[in-house]
Amino acid sequence: MDDATAGPNADVQALSYEQARDELVAVVGRLESGAESLEESLALWERGEALAARCQQWLDGARDRLAAARGETARDEAGDDA
Amino acid sequence: MSEWAADERGGPGDVRAGDARAGDAGAGVAAGAGGAAAGAGAAAGAGALEGAPVPGGTGGRLPLPVKAADTTPDRPWPVRHLAPKIADYVQRMPPVWIEGQVLDLKRWNSMCFLTLRDTDVDMSISVTTSAGNVARLGKGVGDGAHLVVHARPTYHLKRGSLSFAADDVRLVGLGELLERIEHLRRVLGSEGLFDESRKRPLPFLPAVVGLVCAQQGDAEHDVVSNARARWPAVRFEIRRVTVQGPRAVPEVSAAIAELDANPRVEVIVVARGGGSFEDLLPFSNETLVRAAAACRTPLVSAIGHHLDAPLLDLVADLRASTPTDAAKRIVPDVAEERARIAQARLRSRGALVQRLQREQTALDHWRSRPVLAQPSTLVDAHESRVHALRDSARRTLGHLLDRASTEVRGLAGHVRALSPAATLDRGYAVVQRADGLVVRDPAEVKAGDALRVRVARGELAAQVVDR
Repeated sequence: MDDATAGPNADVQALSYEQARDELVAVVGRLESGAESLEESLALWERGEALAARCQQWLDGARDRLAAARGETARDEAGDDA
Repeated sequence: MSEWAADERGGPGDVRAGDARAGDAGAGVAAGAGGAAAGAGAAAGAGALEGAPVPGGTGGRLPLPVKAADTTPDRPWPVRHLAPKIADYVQRMPPVWIEGQVLDLKRWNSMCFLTLRDTDVDMSISVTTSAGNVARLGKGVGDGAHLVVHARPTYHLKRGSLSFAADDVRLVGLGELLERIEHLRRVLGSEGLFDESRKRPLPFLPAVVGLVCAQQGDAEHDVVSNARARWPAVRFEIRRVTVQGPRAVPEVSAAIAELDANPRVEVIVVARGGGSFEDLLPFSNETLVRAAAACRTPLVSAIGHHLDAPLLDLVADLRASTPTDAAKRIVPDVAEERARIAQARLRSRGALVQRLQREQTALDHWRSRPVLAQPSTLVDAHESRVHALRDSARRTLGHLLDRASTEVRGLAGHVRALSPAATLDRGYAVVQRADGLVVRDPAEVKAGDALRVRVARGELAAQVVDR
């Protein structure tokens, strides 16, 4: 897949998770309606991919932070029990 | 003056109010008198203040001073002169209804002696009445019982003591007590003593816990053991007082004030185990409730069982249903706190993980949708549409072509039918003049004209020789 950050979908990076997810749902809806022109469908598809990637980034980031936090608490708990 | 003669009056039991006879009505002295014989003092005479001659003479000395103010160390009044005056003076006091709590009730023959103590303050008077009066009240009369008596003060000349001869003794019933408490509650409520705004929060970890409880009894044990179980380092300042009967109010109030004054004490618990309505009366007593209200240190009221609600509960900063409950309220359970923190941490993490999973599945769901997963489906859609169009285009073209070709064939047939070729095949030839005119009449040509002769398989040139 091409790099979504450059090109027309660069704005996706600035979107919040909820915004990205909601727009993704809208894009899928429009694509599935099939009313778009070919060029429009392709552009929509690319944007869909960019949005999905952004959402995934958010989720992965959240999971990393949680793991990091859990890492600390694991140490704390170890500390508590000592 | 004569009726003053001391005589042994009729049955002692029927003393009536307003008995005009002066002197020693009824006999005996209250409070621990034991078997002291009643006996009317032999006082007589001296009712009047003037210096009436006193029987038994003055022993030949100067006449007695007329007024007490005139007495001097060397011209004093003998007791026998003073006592009747006091008795007479006391005699003039009207009978009065008095309220108080019974203390040391004793029966002797047909008489009853008791001390009537004030409900709030440490003052009491001795009262004598007929045993019948007391018996009539049933067995409810015992130490601590709440009484209202109608009595006349009497002065006993022999012993110089004042007691009250009661001719009507009534038990202050439960209903009346309740009414009194209700009235007091309204009064204190209107003064704002029960307002929420006055309630002070309890310290989370009190340095020292002040405890007011009974000399013995499980209230103290309940509070201390439960508090220690929750927080072993808790320290107590215990004041053991009487928590029942007339002495309760002053002692509990004093204990509260003392603990309040102690700066290290950061919370005060007033604890008392269950008891009858009368037992808990002191904790609805105005003096005690006001003392609790005045207390600046946060105060916990743990009186009786959870159903009892003395006024102290309303004025306290926290009402605990039982002493054990009070212990749970004043110190945190350290182990429980730790467990609660750990649980909070677990639950918050669990909630977050669950949220992440939910979002992930939603995202996966969207990404798996065909339009995203296989974008080719988009193109396929268009492609199939294009193919369909193309196919239909071809088809229509095919049809057109067919039609056209049949048309052409038809035309070709015509052309061929119209064309001389078939005739040429049959041997005919088409002669054309140079200018292309097909010669149909020899006249159209002349000798020597060049002619074009088209035969089936070709053409040749010819010349007219002769027509």
